[in-house]
Amino acid sequence: MINQEHIVSGFDRDLESIQALIMKMGGLVEESIVKSAQALETRDEELARSVRAADRTIDALEEQVNEEAARILALRQPTASDLRTVLSVFRVSANLERIGDYSKNIAKRSSVVVQMQPITGTGPALRRMAGAVELMLKDVLDAYIQRDADLALEVRARDQEVDQMYSALFREYLTHMMEDPRNITHCMHLHFIAKNIERMGDHVTSIAEQVIYLVTGELPDEDRPKGDRTPFEKGM
Amino acid sequence: MEDSNMNDMRLTERRVGQAEAKISARDCQVWYGDNHAIKDVNVDIDDKAVTAFIGPSGCGKSTFLRCLNRMNDTIDIARVEGEITLDGEDIYDRRVDPVQLRAKVGMVFQKPNPFPKSIYDNVAYGPRIHGLAKDKAELDAIVENSLKKAALWKEVKDRLTAPGTGLSGGQQQRLCIARAIATSPEVLLMDEPCSALDPIATAQVEELIDELRAGFSVVIVTHSMQQAARVSQKTAFFHLGELVEFGDTGQIFTNPKDPRTESYITGRIG
Repeated sequence: MINQEHIVSGFDRDLESIQALIMKMGGLVEESIVKSAQALETRDEELARSVRAADRTIDALEEQVNEEAARILALRQPTASDLRTVLSVFRVSANLERIGDYSKNIAKRSSVVVQMQPITGTGPALRRMAGAVELMLKDVLDAYIQRDADLALEVRARDQEVDQMYSALFREYLTHMMEDPRNITHCMHLHFIAKNIERMGDHVTSIAEQVIYLVTGELPDEDRPKGDRTPFEKGM
Repeated sequence: MEDSNMNDMRLTERRVGQAEAKISARDCQVWYGDNHAIKDVNVDIDDKAVTAFIGPSGCGKSTFLRCLNRMNDTIDIARVEGEITLDGEDIYDRRVDPVQLRAKVGMVFQKPNPFPKSIYDNVAYGPRIHGLAKDKAELDAIVENSLKKAALWKEVKDRLTAPGTGLSGGQQQRLCIARAIATSPEVLLMDEPCSALDPIATAQVEELIDELRAGFSVVIVTHSMQQAARVSQKTAFFHLGELVEFGDTGQIFTNPKDPRTESYITGRIG
């Protein structure tokens, strides 16, 4: 369907351009995740600062995407899959912008964290978690541009792994804090970073659901597997 | 979510009763000579709802519309097969008088075609020939009522004796609608009723169609997909004489099931 061209070719160009902006935004957000995780692990304050600066470009792109999409709604009155494309662009751009914000927040916290004594064994786990989310984002953007609902479903299911990593880190930080109260400040920052990454996963999941809506016209059922049990835990 | 929607009249008014079909077509076929113009059309048209027929030129939507009040009888080479029922009665039954049928199933055409008579006589014509009014007072009431329903009364009440042809295009079309509803039809067929009108007159006719829905089953053929989307609750897409897809208008325009419908409504080459 999607390869078929409109009789009015300007309509095709408009739809392609907003999706190209989404892909550009997606690329910048992926880069932001990788860099903020790297800045945290390698204690690179300069890199963290560049992540914070780059978030402005992502925000500007979101604004541009929304303006273009509103223009298409007003001027072309899209229907069916065209309408779903425009609607999905609004939502996906909002999701990407939020992921960018979380990444920026990680960069901010890492600037504080680098000034503290490292706690052994906490660095690689966060980077692995960020890596998993970044891969999910990459795959969901592929699913988006290729209109691949199966891949989107698969990405959506993968969020469970991120949730489990978060649960494990939550318990680990709790242990460190109970062992030595001097770890609390540091661990609170690390916990918020882990939570940020977990929320990124939720936004990627939301993008995956938009891809499914875009392709099938229907949103998937709510019964997605969830791996984060921490809201139900009483502590140790 | 579903429950909270149910309480809001502004949302529920869009819904139409699924239970009662005003007109039903079963395996309807139309031939013009050897040309098989309508193929196996099955459709149930709801009462008190607007149904839009869309499709490219020559797809058979007007032909099928004209089957619903036997307008095709006037074309010698046209042949209609299958069953079309109005309230469960076969309209092609030999005992049915086509003239009586057309009083029950009114029609409005693409170009406003008022008779070269006064505004009053245009509307009074149908009730007169069908003997629907006992006296002048009753006829006056029918004319006033019809013009009010057609949202034209305020504009013409002081010049009912002026010729209908002297009105603007949009007013003429509303006069034709008043004329069509003067015989108290149950179904109103409209063949491209706005294609000769400017956007303001079009909006007035569309508003009128939405009001008429309360009392009639309205079927509209339109080339404007946006118009179909705006005025109808059900949409039927015709292509090459076949009824490709029929469903709730919201579904047809957001998530059509058939790729041919998708191609047509999104403006792609089918």
